[in-house]
Amino acid sequence: MDNRTQQDFEPKIIAFVCTWCTYAGADLAGTSRMQYPSNVRVLKFPCTGRIDPVFILKAFQQGADGVLVSGCHPGDCHYIAGNFHARRRFAAFRKLLEFIGVDLNRLQFSWVSAAEGGKWVEVVTDLTEKVRTMGPMVEFKELALEEQWSGAIDTPELKEAYNAI
Amino acid sequence: MNNHAALDTSIYTAVTEAIRVEAQRILSEGQVTAVIGYAASRRKGSARPVIATDAVAADKLIFTAACVNNLAVYLTKAKKDIHKGGKIGIVVKGCDLKALIGLMGESQLKREDLYLIGVPCSGVLGSTMQPATELTTATIAPKCCECDVHQPTGCDFIPSVTVPSTPQLEGKYSAEIARLEALTPAERWSYWKEQFAKCIKCYACRQVCPFCFCEQCLCDRNKPQMVDSTPRPSGNTAWHIVRAMHLAGRCAGCAECERVCPMDIPLNLLNRKMAKELKELYDYESGLEVLEKGPLNSFAEKDDQSFIK
Repeated sequence: MDNRTQQDFEPKIIAFVCTWCTYAGADLAGTSRMQYPSNVRVLKFPCTGRIDPVFILKAFQQGADGVLVSGCHPGDCHYIAGNFHARRRFAAFRKLLEFIGVDLNRLQFSWVSAAEGGKWVEVVTDLTEKVRTMGPMVEFKELALEEQWSGAIDTPELKEAYNAI
Repeated sequence: MNNHAALDTSIYTAVTEAIRVEAQRILSEGQVTAVIGYAASRRKGSARPVIATDAVAADKLIFTAACVNNLAVYLTKAKKDIHKGGKIGIVVKGCDLKALIGLMGESQLKREDLYLIGVPCSGVLGSTMQPATELTTATIAPKCCECDVHQPTGCDFIPSVTVPSTPQLEGKYSAEIARLEALTPAERWSYWKEQFAKCIKCYACRQVCPFCFCEQCLCDRNKPQMVDSTPRPSGNTAWHIVRAMHLAGRCAGCAECERVCPMDIPLNLLNRKMAKELKELYDYESGLEVLEKGPLNSFAEKDDQSFIK
């Protein structure tokens, strides 16, 4: 990759956040006029427990270079235990993605409370910079562009059969 | 690797006899309305699932190394109609019993609706393309190499035969998982990309799975469509990831998905990997006892969160 594309690359970060803590934390960062990269697109959910692993897949497929999932600290969940359930689910999902061959550096989980505007800025900045140095996430995008049938259509056998027609 | 030792399947004759006697007894006594089991099929040595509703049909039940199916699937897809007719008898291998235990934990089945006929099993064939093949260390199903339930427990009836001690077989799944784990992420991605590209989205893996009992699968829904339904690499990858995730902590390892896959995708590898991780993370193994909550719908405050900032 030449220097030009390296510099031009602006990572797309999708942040799945819970409305009670991290969304309010991001809001605080905004009202406190803290600066953080505009690469992050925030999606608000009622709770981290509502965030299905398939959302993360979908984000990657549709062009995200990094994904952030953030919610309330353990014990602070508005719905008592949503983040505890999410913690287990994402622990398992990370292992699955790792096994499939996805670089886990693109997937960040964090607890950011409504009072932690500074931590939100830090988490977002860290992930954005990390992904920026890693370059674009191409794996899922390439898959989406690929038009592949269940078998190769130019095998010698098929060619021979075609010529025999 | 050419020394494929034959495995001792001599108990299967006695098992067949015991299943027949027991099935006839419970059917004629009216304890059950039907017995789900295996019967010989047309090709020599082959077996197929049958539902015996009278003593005559029960006399045709068999158990051989070709009895590969997990019969639990017949109970989940029809679970709503079970108690209407009364108790159902079912012939279960140890691995199938694990699936039933999982289903009971998920309130899909009731123990009192079932009459379990457990089968002491020394292994089944990996493929039934040649059903008359002798069971050897080469033809045995990979799941049987790592089996720890040759002798099922907690059933209503178990033939009183002892499973001959099987030689220690090489664990194919654990070896393959270890091999993949040692690769780089890019190498693993290209491995799975190649595997998933073969998928034709026939959903045989879903159809045969006792745990895929959702009345509407997430992957069939549109608005919003979470998983692309066309058989193209993108949707295939998503489908297999979602499938593995939804079975994590539930899959009991009957490996039916892998057996029925027409494209030979190593599906059980994903399931075994997830089982291994959940064992390491939460010390959970599925299918051992009826538990109301699995590892992914329960939690502990002390759970590992080293990956969370």
